[in-house]
Amino acid sequence: MKENKDFYVGYIDSVAPKTKKTIKGFVLAAFAILLAIAAIFAFTQNTAKNSYFEFGVDTKITGIYHELPYPMLQVKTEENEYRNIVLLGFGKFSANPYLKKIRNTTKPLSGSTLSIEGNLIYYNGKTLIQITDEEKVVLVTPSDAAKIPQPIAMVQDMELQGEIIDPKCYFGVMKPGKGKIHRSCAVLCISGGIPPVLATTDENNISKYYLITDTNGAPIHQDILPFVGKPSVIQGDVYQLQDWYQLRIDVSDIQDLNQPSTIY
Amino acid sequence: MGLDYQTVLWNSHKKKYDLWIAIGVFLYLLTFIGITILTNPETTAETLIIRAFGTLAIALLHIVLLIGPLSRLNSRFLPLLYNRRHLGVSMFLAALIHGAFSIIQFHTLGNTNAFYALFTSNLEYDSLTNFPFQVLGFFALIILFLMAATSHDFWLKNLSPKIWKGLHMMVYVAYAFVLLHVFLGALQQQPSLWSISILSIGFIVIASLHLKAALQESKIDKQTAIKVEDGWEFVCTVDEIPEDRAKIFIVQKERIAIFKYENKLSAISNVCKHQGGPLGEGKVIDGCVTCPWHGYQYLPANGQSPPPFTEKIATYRLKKIANEIYVHPEGLAEGTAIEPIAL
Ligand code: HEM
Ligand code: FES
Repeated sequence: MKENKDFYVGYIDSVAPKTKKTIKGFVLAAFAILLAIAAIFAFTQNTAKNSYFEFGVDTKITGIYHELPYPMLQVKTEENEYRNIVLLGFGKFSANPYLKKIRNTTKPLSGSTLSIEGNLIYYNGKTLIQITDEEKVVLVTPSDAAKIPQPIAMVQDMELQGEIIDPKCYFGVMKPGKGKIHRSCAVLCISGGIPPVLATTDENNISKYYLITDTNGAPIHQDILPFVGKPSVIQGDVYQLQDWYQLRIDVSDIQDLNQPSTIY
Repeated sequence: MGLDYQTVLWNSHKKKYDLWIAIGVFLYLLTFIGITILTNPETTAETLIIRAFGTLAIALLHIVLLIGPLSRLNSRFLPLLYNRRHLGVSMFLAALIHGAFSIIQFHTLGNTNAFYALFTSNLEYDSLTNFPFQVLGFFALIILFLMAATSHDFWLKNLSPKIWKGLHMMVYVAYAFVLLHVFLGALQQQPSLWSISILSIGFIVIASLHLKAALQESKIDKQTAIKVEDGWEFVCTVDEIPEDRAKIFIVQKERIAIFKYENKLSAISNVCKHQGGPLGEGKVIDGCVTCPWHGYQYLPANGQSPPPFTEKIATYRLKKIANEIYVHPEGLAEGTAIEPIAL
């Protein structure tokens, strides 16, 4: 009979005591392993940034529409203080499809005053807005060419090191919104018309952001995709428009550093 | 008997195991989400879900992979093997939540199809630093899906045990893909000695337990008859086999099991028709050889499952000279009746 004790048949409702003990030991060990793995993976995550995406909350902004060369709205915050809010579409798309309707009603669009309702995205002094409905883009006053803000040339042939990010995710929609984990998403966003932005960080951990354009200041999307989400060195001419820099580059000048992205 | 595969066998053991799985999953999520919310409050809900379920899946995968070799090395672990299916399916579900949320978050709402984007949004398949790690997770998830979808005995029957077994051995391929997915993905962006160590230790433990179990089995396979008389091979003496149990022996590279029961001796193939469990490690219960893995039964005298079941395995002829048992290495057709040797 002693041999019988340790034979387990799943559909017979009795388990020998020694077997029971072994199983109990295993279950306890398994729980310990589970909790250790949970703790290790939870504690070793990088700290997420305090960026915001006001999903589901509509905010109305009013200002001068212009293109840098990406759609923007210049909003006056105080006397002689402006914030240029980057306009974005829903999902991984630019604002352009949502501006089609208003473009048909008033020409040109640049220089006109618009009021736009959408979801704000903000971090580190920069603000963006997601437009989800073309009806929420309303004309306040028609175009006045004199009101279009012009970028000022700052430095020629400047060399900058950083990562090309998609600003929608980086400034609030996703955490992490940069680096290897996020790379495929950034590629899709930029391919969908969201402006490519170079994010740099200096030794004091201060970040600067540059909207990337071609050497003539026209938008780039497809050509820059192989360099998105990776540490790179870029050369170009820097322009400034109030709270934003613009970097005019030749894509063939981008140098892939072939390093894992560790700046978070 | 075999198991009636059309009805799921819900017995009290299965329910108890399922309860423990549920408790384990709950505690895992509570720990991961709790620590994250306390130490990293700015995280987003999507990232929290993706990470909680991704790491849960890899943790459960380790436990699933431990059960196989442990129950080969020590039969007291066999009840875990019997109930392993639901653990495997739970692991797949966790991986599915992780994969689905990742695909939705990173690949939908764009200007191409999400699955096309998964493969093409990063094309640096020739680089280690930039490798599209999500693709590796995708292939692992497909394998886990096929395994979970075919885990029921219905599929075992319909796919044939050989194909089924081959499919389920792919879990090791999935494990390799998942490790690469993590080492080339998240661990590059947030490297930590702790997470690298735990995954490496997990790999070493799983690999060495499998090696140990394989060594033990190959020892059995290397046995050769020490005496051959007229083509009959000497196995052992009668008293070397305990009552209702068997001695496993190798003839012509096939494992067979010689059972002693009710003062009789019979020899049958050692390989269970269900999933190839070792019948020789089973026991005779109610006159039937009972497989230690999931309890399929066979009559020792003819290798047939008792009606209404229809499984059949090969039988082998025995001869007793004085106290010594001899076997004829040529197996008979599956289900052939042989008069047992009376003791
Ligand atoms: C379609 C399939 C899959 C996709 C698209 C996918 C995607 C991802 C992504 C994007 C990350 C990084 C997430 C982050 O850290 O924020 C990640 C990490 C991870 N994945 Fe997957 N994965 C898939 C399948 C799997 C499978 C099948 C497993 C395991 C069984 C798995 C286990 C993990 C683990 C452990 C991590 C690291 C922890 C974490 O960051 O979540 N993944 N995966
Ligand atoms: S009962 Fe499943 S392998 Fe024998």
